[in-house]
Amino acid sequence: MSEDKESFNPFDPTGMFKEMRDTNIDAWAKMMGKAVQTDVYAESTGRMLDAWLSSSTPVRKMLDKSMSQALANLKMPSSDDITRLAERLTNIEMRLDDLDAKLDTFLSKLSDGRSE
Amino acid sequence: MNDTQNGQVEIPSFSDISEGWHDLARNTQTFNRLLNTDASIAQTPKELIWTLNKAKLYRYVPVRPREERHATPLLLVFAIMNRPHVLDLRPGHSFAEYMLDKGYDLYLLDWGEPGPEDKNLDFDDYTLEYLPRVIRKLKAVSGSNEFSILGWCLGALISTLYASLRPDDGLRNLILLTAPLDFSDKKSSGFIRWTSDPNFKPESIVEAFGNVPGEMIDSGAKMLKPIENFIGTYTMLWDNIESTKRTDAWHAMNTWVRDIIPMAGAAYQQLINEFYKENKLVEGRLKIRGERVDLSRLTANLFNVIAESDHITPPCQSEGIMDLVGSEDKELFRVRGGHIGIMAGSGAEKNTWPHLDGWLAPRSQQTGEG
Repeated sequence: MSEDKESFNPFDPTGMFKEMRDTNIDAWAKMMGKAVQTDVYAESTGRMLDAWLSSSTPVRKMLDKSMSQALANLKMPSSDDITRLAERLTNIEMRLDDLDAKLDTFLSKLSDGRSE
Repeated sequence: MNDTQNGQVEIPSFSDISEGWHDLARNTQTFNRLLNTDASIAQTPKELIWTLNKAKLYRYVPVRPREERHATPLLLVFAIMNRPHVLDLRPGHSFAEYMLDKGYDLYLLDWGEPGPEDKNLDFDDYTLEYLPRVIRKLKAVSGSNEFSILGWCLGALISTLYASLRPDDGLRNLILLTAPLDFSDKKSSGFIRWTSDPNFKPESIVEAFGNVPGEMIDSGAKMLKPIENFIGTYTMLWDNIESTKRTDAWHAMNTWVRDIIPMAGAAYQQLINEFYKENKLVEGRLKIRGERVDLSRLTANLFNVIAESDHITPPCQSEGIMDLVGSEDKELFRVRGGHIGIMAGSGAEKNTWPHLDGWLAPRSQQTGEG
């Protein structure tokens, strides 16, 4: 809402604070930009991430294991089974792509031979 | 409630108040719509010509007759952790549309969204398994043995690896945009300070999630400029809420930003360890599928574009390779702007795209080998 700075519009919620905001936002941006590029920030973020992952990963693994066990008991495929199947499909797709390329080369040579 | 000329405050009429509430309600509705809906992006007509796993190769439908087109086709290779739609943001402001109009036979590689089965994909796979197949198809469809590549961000990294490992494969021109290649300055801005900390362990992230969640990558990128990304972008939208031109541009960009995808776990781990931490590429120690990547073998014509205010790939990460590559025809080009802004911002059409075309067009003419 590009209001004239001189005027005050009570129906523009950000307009009431616009001048203050415009004055300060650049300073905040610079300050925060510098803060996240300090070694202290890098270290604390790394530590927090590490702590979160090392505490949550065992729980997640336990849940995955029990889910896989439950699905196996129900004779149903687990996400790992589906993942393995998808990997095999990708491999088949690659072999098909190779065959496609060889066929292209063969047809191209055949057509070159005919034109000669 | 405006000040009158003699300094007295004028009391607003009932109709002024009513109109004000009406405007506020309408603007709030527009604001919510722009935040929570998707704009129509990537609208330039293209046809799918090849797929492998999640990767897709598209050919944009040419708008110029064959005799007016450049002889050398151009392949666009974007990063692996974002959608490539930013190259074709919206009608009237699309790099793809612009290059088609300039007569290029244009191809786009979309790496796709990796699933759990793709967690072991790494740069070796992207460089020597996927890209050569894409190029094989591009050559077959275009009928040209020579081609150009424009790689952006990690797409530029993959393109550089490919250009160094397969210099005789027909790559004539290589355009790199904001390419993260040289990580020798561990104190520069961007992610490098965070990834250099010993507490930052990509292995733990990959072990926990398989692929790195898109939300994690997105938050990390936004935290590099927290005020701008979490506050500034929304205040700017509100300030311009009555300008359709500006809100349309914001909406398109926000649609692209919101469409986040995960990054293959092995590629992420390799990026952090072998590139960011160990700087193997520039130091000549990087091996892809057992082959050492020697930048001096990169002999294609090179146009290396740097965004001067890039906070994701600071200029020092791109500049260093100019002395290492074997290209005789090479140029470093600086553009004012940020990582994405130089190609998708409002000034891209004047400040970046014409320079890319200006460099590439004379190098895309017919040669004996084409």
